[in-house]
Amino acid sequence: MSGKMCSSSSSVIQAQKLVDQLRVEASMERFKISLTAADLVQYCQEHRRSDPLLTGIAASSNPFKDKKTCVIL
Amino acid sequence: MACQGLQKGETLESLKRESETLKKKLEEERNKLNDVELHQVAEKVEVLSALSIKTRRVLKGHGNKVLCMDWCKDKRRMVSSSQDGKVIVWDAFTLNKEHGVPLPCTWVLACAYAPLSGLDNKCSVIPLSLDKNENLAAKKKSVAMHTNYVSGCSFTNSDMQLLTSSGDGTCALWDVESGQLLQSFHGHTADVLSLDLAPSETGNTFVSGGCDMKANVWDMRSGQNIQSFESHESDINCVKYYPSGDAFASASDDATCRFYDLRADREVAVYQKDSIIFGASTCDFSLSGRLLFAGYNDYTINVWDVLKGTRATILFGHENRVSRVRVSPDGTALGSASWDSTLRVSWSFSTGSNYIFRFIKLLFWVNSRLVLEFTVAF
Repeated sequence: MSGKMCSSSSSVIQAQKLVDQLRVEASMERFKISLTAADLVQYCQEHRRSDPLLTGIAASSNPFKDKKTCVIL
Repeated sequence: MACQGLQKGETLESLKRESETLKKKLEEERNKLNDVELHQVAEKVEVLSALSIKTRRVLKGHGNKVLCMDWCKDKRRMVSSSQDGKVIVWDAFTLNKEHGVPLPCTWVLACAYAPLSGLDNKCSVIPLSLDKNENLAAKKKSVAMHTNYVSGCSFTNSDMQLLTSSGDGTCALWDVESGQLLQSFHGHTADVLSLDLAPSETGNTFVSGGCDMKANVWDMRSGQNIQSFESHESDINCVKYYPSGDAFASASDDATCRFYDLRADREVAVYQKDSIIFGASTCDFSLSGRLLFAGYNDYTINVWDVLKGTRATILFGHENRVSRVRVSPDGTALGSASWDSTLRVSWSFSTGSNYIFRFIKLLFWVNSRLVLEFTVAF
C-alpha cells in the first residue's frame, strides 16, 4: 500500500512541476504578430546594406581572392 | 519515509486537469495574437534580386566526415572537427592549415572557436598558440562533464563560462577556470542536440532544441525555462537566434526549418518545399537576418528568404550530408562542413564585378589564339 502511494507521489511531483512550468509560461506578456513582425522586417531593412552576402562584395575588396601573377610572353 | 508529494486538496487528477486548462489557455492566448502572417507584413519589402552566392573555395585535409566548423573572431580563420579524430585550424584566405590537433575521441561533435565537445561526455578547452612546437593536445583541459554525449557548446559573452547541451537531456553552465557546474537546465525529455546564446544586447537567455521536438528558451541565471515551442514533427538538430534577438530559427529532421517570434510567443514561418524530403541538420542567418542558410542531408544548402518564406537560391557542391553552416563574423562568407570530408567557403560578388568577370571570360574565348595571359583577380 505504501509503495503504491510513493510511486503516485513522484508522478504528483512531476505533475506539479508541469503545472508550475505552465503557470510561468501563461503569465508571460505577449504581443500581436502585426507589431512584432513589423519589427523583424524593420531590422532586416535597416541592415540590408551592410549584409555582404545580400549585396555582394566588390572583387577589389575581396579578402579571399588569389594573388596570381601576370605572365606576358 | 513519508510520501510528502501530496498536498492538501492537490491530487494527481486535479493537477492533470489544471495542466490541461493551462495548456488550452496558452493556446488561446497565442492564437489571439495571430492577427497576420509574417509574409503578409513583408509584402511591401522588395523581392530579393538574384543572389550570386557561389562556392568558391574547397578546403581538403580531413580524412573523414567533418562534423563541425566555426569561424574565428578574426574573420579569417576557421576551425573544424572531424571523425578522423582531428581538429584543424584553417586560414580561409590562403587555405593553409595552421594547426592540427589530434584528439583521443573520434566523435568530436562540436567545436566553437576554442571549446570542443563530443561523445566522450566531456567538453575540452584547448588553448591555441602560434608556437608550432607546443604540444597543444597536452594542454587540453576538461571543463564540462555530462552523463551522456555533449552535443553542443558555446562560450558565454565573457568567455569565462561555457554553456553545453547534452544527450542526457540537460543543458549546463560551467565555470571554465574551475570546471565547476554553475547552473543546470532541466526540461527537455530527450537528447538536447543544439543550443544558441541570445545576442549580447538582449540579455541572458539561450535557446535549445532536441529530440523531444521542442525548442526551449531559458533564463541563464535562474535556470528557468521561460518559453517552449513544440511545432516540429521530428528531432530539432539546430537552433539559431535572429540577429536582433527577438526571434530564432530551427532546423529539423522533418525537412523543415521554422521561424519563431519570441515576443508573440509563436511560430511565424515554416520554410519547406514538397521537393525537400531530407532532414535539415544546421542553419544560420546572414548579418541582416534576411537570409537563412540551411544544410540538408540531401547534400544541398537551401537559402531561404526569411521574410517572404520562399527559397532564394540553392547551393550544390557537397558530396555528402552537410553537417554545419556558419556565416563568418563580418558576414562576407558562408562556411560549410560536410560528411564528404571537405569544407567549402561561399560568397557573393556584387553585380558590377560579375559583369567584369564575364567580360574577361569573353576576351579569353575570343582571343584564345593570342599569346597573352591576363591577371585575373578572383
